[in-house]
Amino acid sequence: MSKPFFTVYCLIIYAFLLAPIAVVVIASFNAGAFLTFPPQGLSFRWYLVFFNNEVFMRAIRTSLWIAAMTTVISGIIGTMAAMFYVTHAGRLKETVRVAMLAPLLLPEVLTAISLLFFVYSVGLGTQNLVGMIVGHVLITLPFVFINVSASMESYDPAWSLAAQSLGAGRFTRFRRIMLPLIKPGVIGGCLFAFIISFDVFTISFMLKGVGMSTLPIQLFDYLRTNFTPEAAAVSTCSIVLTMAVVIISEKVLGLRIHRF
Amino acid sequence: MNVPPKKRLGPLLLIAPAAILLGVFLVLPYLNIVVMSFRMPGQGTPYGPGFTLGNYGKFFSDFFYIQQVINTLWIGFLTTFLCLILGYPVAWQLARGASAFRAVGYALVLSPLLVGIVIRSYGWTILLGNNGIINRTLTGWGLIDGPLPLMYNALGIIIALVHVFLPFMILPIMSAIQGIDPSLEAAARSLGASKVTSFRRITLPLSLPGIQAGCILVFVLSLSAYVTPSLIGGLRVKTMAVTVVDALIDTFQWPFGSALALMLSVTGAIVVVIFGRLTVMKWKA
Repeated sequence: MSKPFFTVYCLIIYAFLLAPIAVVVIASFNAGAFLTFPPQGLSFRWYLVFFNNEVFMRAIRTSLWIAAMTTVISGIIGTMAAMFYVTHAGRLKETVRVAMLAPLLLPEVLTAISLLFFVYSVGLGTQNLVGMIVGHVLITLPFVFINVSASMESYDPAWSLAAQSLGAGRFTRFRRIMLPLIKPGVIGGCLFAFIISFDVFTISFMLKGVGMSTLPIQLFDYLRTNFTPEAAAVSTCSIVLTMAVVIISEKVLGLRIHRF
Repeated sequence: MNVPPKKRLGPLLLIAPAAILLGVFLVLPYLNIVVMSFRMPGQGTPYGPGFTLGNYGKFFSDFFYIQQVINTLWIGFLTTFLCLILGYPVAWQLARGASAFRAVGYALVLSPLLVGIVIRSYGWTILLGNNGIINRTLTGWGLIDGPLPLMYNALGIIIALVHVFLPFMILPIMSAIQGIDPSLEAAARSLGASKVTSFRRITLPLSLPGIQAGCILVFVLSLSAYVTPSLIGGLRVKTMAVTVVDALIDTFQWPFGSALALMLSVTGAIVVVIFGRLTVMKWKA
């Protein structure tokens, strides 16, 4: 393959990857009542409709709240597991890693279904947020684990021993030695957990109770019956929010988030 | 040497919350769904008392469901194959190309992963619909008379699935190629191998683990995809995952839905194992 041809080929693939996202953003500024291309004039009309639509606003609040709860729980559990994995797992290391990544490797739809049956079997039901948040924690846990354990790769247990010999207790050692070193990994993992939780669909769809739709569910329901650009405005806001989180974390905080 | 019990218990407390979470909310539910698939269908309730093989009998006796599994597998195969063909050159460029390209390209490959799957599938409905951008543009140019059937069929589902899962193919192949020592390729070239030969004999075989990982990931993900087939396929084309979810949410057939979900997973697992065996054999030979 000649070089210019190869470069053009790759550019086409990049365009293919961005096309549907770009289309949604452009469609959101459409002034007309339907999705037409080219747009019939530019306007923020559909953003106003969206901001005044209590159904979507409630869905955003639900999503943000669930994502926040998920991030805190997943962040704590995942960080603890990563600490065990790096410093104490020993021969169990590979087992711990596979177990922690399992929610990522198993099909999400199967995890969602089995969790739905389970919460009913044990009498939890879906009218509280427990099932939903547990599902979100399961799905986001691998990302916290990956990021924190990556940031601990260069951690030398001797530092902890040195602090111990100088009389530092368990908690002081964690707070003064370990935490500052793994902080970038913890923040990166938590931010990514937040984004994943905000965007996740299938788990939320199966485990939602009546009147507790998250934003992706509300959007999905809306798209089944409506074709106005309001959905594009909602989507664009969601895209901007996630991109902002990533750009702030990578540019401002200088973090490198591990996604794999 | 006697270690005080507190010291040995400490580290275990670190892993305990994760272990309990995964044990109670992942392992138990998966065991539960296996049991559920053998339960009797209920009358007005999700499931009835007693156990039966009837749910699996219903699956194997109704050609509709077998046909659907075959369709879903086909969609999965084609999606995986297209992702590999389209993704490999990009993975190679990200691993070996000019550095200016690499940083931007990497961001471009990752950014779709940060956009929710509902939004990405919605983008494809705008592009592929009968009144969508592609059909309107082609009609406007006078190339076609009526809209091409791009949506509500397997073609539309495959296009959108390739888009959604392409990054999962590119990233493992990219890291596999990055792991190959560039001096191997240089040595082959200095010994007179053409670019094509050096790629065919050195780069491609050494990147096989990445190809294998990417293919398995994309195949499994596309079998269990729900949102994209449901939005693009509409009511006309249903993949297995869509049928399973609908059977559970709309008609509350929990035991039968579980049997369907497990049959899909088992079929997928068999394909993955066969694929793994074949590629390992080829790799050794």
